Amino acid sequence: MSTPNNNGYLIIFRSAEWYKGLSPEQMQQVADNWMAWFNRLKDEGKCAGGNPLEREGKIVSGANRVVSDGPFAESKETIGGYFLLTVNTLEEAVSIAKDCPGLPYGVRVEVRPIAPQCPMVDELASKEHLAHA
Amino acid sequence: MSESNKNGYLLLSRTDEWYQQLSHEELQQLLAANKAWVGQLIAAGRARPGVALARSGATVFGGNKSVVVDGPYAESKEAIGGTLVLDVATLEEAIAIAQACPSLRYDYSAIEIRPISNECPLEACMRAREQQLATA
Repeated sequence: MSTPNNNGYLIIFRSAEWYKGLSPEQMQQVADNWMAWFNRLKDEGKCAGGNPLEREGKIVSGANRVVSDGPFAESKETIGGYFLLTVNTLEEAVSIAKDCPGLPYGVRVEVRPIAPQCPMVDELASKEHLAHA
Repeated sequence: MSESNKNGYLLLSRTDEWYQQLSHEELQQLLAANKAWVGQLIAAGRARPGVALARSGATVFGGNKSVVVDGPYAESKEAIGGTLVLDVATLEEAIAIAQACPSLRYDYSAIEIRPISNECPLEACMRAREQQLATA
């Protein structure tokens, strides 16, 4: 859990449309808190950027390049947006994730270390290692 | 379908480590093809350098006493393997780029395409409600 990572972390916000049950005042409050959180992280040099995503989307899959509607959804949860964190440890990234203003409303925050290279390269390297063993 | 979006599009590669089944040569070839695909897009100003994600991490959920579980999102058989921001203006262009991704020649691979928003979804939801009230 405490392995340092110089490439940073991506935190991904997953949710159903949880905010639809909120009153306009609550919604404004959560939106303001979220923006303030993002700006604070940027000011502290812990966040390099982020983006909210539209709810719609497309999926392209398989050898036939089939295009289908909608974002990927697991239990109706889709990815709503993400921040790119420039912190060095998973602990720091998780502790930032715990401040997400959406958590009390059912938002889940996935924290993923950014890899220095495509994981396929590692797979290839391990296969080469096996081949020469 | 043809609406334009000046904020660009996010490609999310969805995989379950299917590439482990490939032979050494197939993997090598696919890597080179993927590198060329991304390199070309970046050189043409149509994509920004992407992010590859390690197959580890944590998920945080719950309110004040938030719960932390190890690993990528637990329910996800098709975890996110990486992201690429496209600087193109239409969904068609984004789809065409995704369709050219060399990984798709293997059936286990999928790419999710999402328009990047210029505002928080909460703000958009509030605006929609206000419009509804105004026209009611």
